[in-house]
Amino acid sequence: MRRRFVLLLLLGGLCALTGWMTSLGRVGFFMMAPPAKLLEALKEHLQIVLSAELLAVVAGIPLGLALSRRSFRRGAPILSAVTSVGQTVPTLALVGVFSILMGLGWRSAVVALGVYTLLPIVRNTYAGLVSVDPRVKDAARGMGMSAWQILWRVEIPLAAPLIMAGIRTSTVLNVGSAAVAGMIGAGGLGEIIMTGVSLRLVEMVLQGAAPTAALAILLDHLLEGVAATATPRGLRLALRRGDS
Amino acid sequence: MIELRDVTKVFPGGTQAVDGVSLDIGEGEFCVLLGPSGCGKTTTLRLINRLVPLTSGKITVGGHDVSTMRVTTLRRRIGYAIQEIGLFPHMTVAQNIATVPRLLGWRRRKRRERVRELLDLLGLTPVDEYLHRYPAELSGGQRQRVGVARALGANPAILLMDEPFGAIDPITRERLQDEFLRIQREIHKTVVFVTHDIHEAIKLGDTIALMKEGRLIQHATPSQLLAQPADDFVRGFVGTDRTLKALRLTNVREIMDAEPTVIGEEETLAAARQAMDAVGRTALPVVDAGGAFLGWIERATASEGGSDPVASRVTPYAVLGSPGMPLNEAVALMLESATGNLPVVDDERRLVGVVTFDRLFDQLRQSSAERVAPKELP
Repeated sequence: MRRRFVLLLLLGGLCALTGWMTSLGRVGFFMMAPPAKLLEALKEHLQIVLSAELLAVVAGIPLGLALSRRSFRRGAPILSAVTSVGQTVPTLALVGVFSILMGLGWRSAVVALGVYTLLPIVRNTYAGLVSVDPRVKDAARGMGMSAWQILWRVEIPLAAPLIMAGIRTSTVLNVGSAAVAGMIGAGGLGEIIMTGVSLRLVEMVLQGAAPTAALAILLDHLLEGVAATATPRGLRLALRRGDS
Repeated sequence: MIELRDVTKVFPGGTQAVDGVSLDIGEGEFCVLLGPSGCGKTTTLRLINRLVPLTSGKITVGGHDVSTMRVTTLRRRIGYAIQEIGLFPHMTVAQNIATVPRLLGWRRRKRRERVRELLDLLGLTPVDEYLHRYPAELSGGQRQRVGVARALGANPAILLMDEPFGAIDPITRERLQDEFLRIQREIHKTVVFVTHDIHEAIKLGDTIALMKEGRLIQHATPSQLLAQPADDFVRGFVGTDRTLKALRLTNVREIMDAEPTVIGEEETLAAARQAMDAVGRTALPVVDAGGAFLGWIERATASEGGSDPVASRVTPYAVLGSPGMPLNEAVALMLESATGNLPVVDDERRLVGVVTFDRLFDQLRQSSAERVAPKELP
């Protein structure tokens, strides 16, 4: 309850800050982004985030799944290496590389962000599937479930909380990283921030940064709710009791 | 029902887990695979439903070579129960039990009926209270019952059980064993049951297959195993107290004196003394007009007062036996009570017999005689 209160306070503060900055209208010679432009940027930002996230989920879950299979287990150390190194690569560099490969614009930003935020999903999917009690899998096998049935009816439901946690981490990561996309002309709130930086206008930087942070908090909170409903009830009870 | 012929399993690392085991398990037989850890008993069990692939040899189930059957078909025909942890935590009790019926494509109504039937059979009643609970909401013993119910889901003719009562406290385990025996008498499955607990093996098994280092050392009835160990390993494994363990296999009814000399409560002490002298006992059971057991009359307390009724000097009883009680429990009770006599009563407290140490020694002498003339395998 207290957490929710702090969250709401923070969210309110950030929205107020955005409103205030927008209401300035003009600072010195420069025009702040008008409300319509700000909304447009927010919409673009959300589009980039959701597209990149979709890409990351669609590619990341099967990848994590494949790595968790017995025959691919040998790939697991490579995965952990890629994951830890991958996340030290600056988003800026990745977006830059993709803009060179695929040209400036929305598409290369989405692909770059998708690749970048793939890692938490792959890692969590893998971890979730590997952590399923081998005795539970043995029972499923012993009762005559096929490999697919075990995957769909047993492993994925049991790994769901961890997979959802990966998606959540990756989404939040995405909201922040998507600001960089403004640099390669993909639009979004990053564009306002970049303009503010080049004009040395703190007010404009804030006008772009505050709604970005608000969006991250909001999505995180929404996904927390989704994760809770994705966790099977029986599992929730077991986790609460601290059983394996 | 299940035949193993020269079955061998060598794991990829080179470990020989099972080494040339041949074993016949008859229909309706409860066969316990027993042995120290690492003896290959679990591997042997898992070879039957092909959870472990065979290296060489042949296994047939109901006349069919298991290696020629589709593996999922084979497994759906054989019940499989492991320790309680094997339940699906994200499924309700009903969903867990209906796992195999669902795989077999049973209709919803048929599945539901089967689940209710099994919950009832395993004593998880009232049924409605358990249907929609999750494993996390059950006690260890209840989870194990659900595990057994799940193995029985599609009514398979064969059950494979891998230490199903291993992770349960001793008191609950004892109760589950008793109940499982009762259920087995009703359903007559062919059961292969893995344990390392000799007491469990003796209590549950029609036969015991004792294994060591991947080899089958002896396959025999519990009494045969105890009376006639095949070699020093078996002798050591069943323990030096094997004679005492054998007591578990006999119950009170079989050795009690079913027509003991009794004395009515309204008779006189003089008559009691006379009766004691006649049978050469120092104590006699006292019963009322309806045959209900009241206690003992002892020579020491009945030595004087010839015309007083027996009722005035009755020593209350300290222990009571029942006809179905295994002898090991009866002996414990007799040692506890100073008289060395165990009165055996029925459900209405009527005296139906008496066990004395003399009768017990006769029984022990008989079981050592069995070492010379063993019983046939069933």
